[in-house]
Amino acid sequence: MNEDDKRDAEQDALNARLEKLNAALRQREEERLAREAPPPERSGLSKALSVGLNAFAEFAGAVLVGGLIGWKADEWLGTKPWLMIVLLGLGIAAGFWNIYRVAKPKD
Amino acid sequence: MSNEAAAAPNPIEQFELHRYFPHEIAGVETSFTNASLYMLAAALGVVLLMVIATSRKAIVPGRFQALAEMLYEFVANTVRQTAGKEGMKFFPFVFSLFSFILISNLIGLIPYTYSVTSQIVVTGAFALLVILLVTVYGFYRNGFGFLNLFVPHGVPLPVLVILVPIEIISFLSRPVSLSIRLFANMLAGHVTLAVFGGFVVLLLAAGGVYQALAPIPLLAIVALYALELLVAFLQAFVFSVLTCVYLNDAIHPGH
Repeated sequence: MNEDDKRDAEQDALNARLEKLNAALRQREEERLAREAPPPERSGLSKALSVGLNAFAEFAGAVLVGGLIGWKADEWLGTKPWLMIVLLGLGIAAGFWNIYRVAKPKD
Repeated sequence: MSNEAAAAPNPIEQFELHRYFPHEIAGVETSFTNASLYMLAAALGVVLLMVIATSRKAIVPGRFQALAEMLYEFVANTVRQTAGKEGMKFFPFVFSLFSFILISNLIGLIPYTYSVTSQIVVTGAFALLVILLVTVYGFYRNGFGFLNLFVPHGVPLPVLVILVPIEIISFLSRPVSLSIRLFANMLAGHVTLAVFGGFVVLLLAAGGVYQALAPIPLLAIVALYALELLVAFLQAFVFSVLTCVYLNDAIHPGH
């Protein structure tokens, strides 16, 4: 009985030490991650290329979606050019809105 | 001259589909093409990497185990940072997406292979999957509260009349821009590589002084390859980060 108690106490102590070690490791890991932020920061041509293609994708996507919805809605409702004009305009606005959201400084 | 022009390599040729086993089901084409082959290769590559990595779970990891652990840690941290603790339930999904895109980007960089992610059908299918998941989970978790995503806080009513349609179009444009981003990056990279490769061939074919210039585009290809390696990784990362951002919107729609 006494032996068992002793073993339990040892086990508890070991568990506590492991827990402490884990916590310390986790904190270390977090600090390391904070130091070396995940997205590899780049410069020059490659960064410009990726930023440019990103802006293009954000803008073109919104314009395409707006135009497509307008075009199809016009076909269904028989309101030929009007919905497409309106939604294309909204799509362009959404495109600029997307670019703004990508480009605005992070707060 | 016209002969030489005909011999000029075509930078688009690398994206052509070839049917290995022509096949169709009820008029829908289901042939096994080179794209299917390389998708299969990428999927098998991911599975193989994970199986090898976890076959000998050592405390001191071997090469493959270290690679797999790095991959796991990297994606897990991305998910935790962008989508929060609750986003971790989507970790398997994001991890599969990330590793599949990464492996197929990398396979596509090997000469004479086919780059699956330079096909907008493939990237579009991924993006649709993501946005469907976001929409379905958003409504499942928040009910109609998910629609708050389209109504920014503290905006007067007259402005909302214009802003809400813009937000809706902006939401719908996500899958489009998500797929265009990956596809355009891969397409542009591979076309550039092929064009520069074509320069080498053309300069060599031109003969005389021009042959001396041939190494210049060859050097450019080496530099571009380094860039493409970075793009292959970065685009896989960007795709999964944006997936997490959108999932975060589904979990917390109230901006």
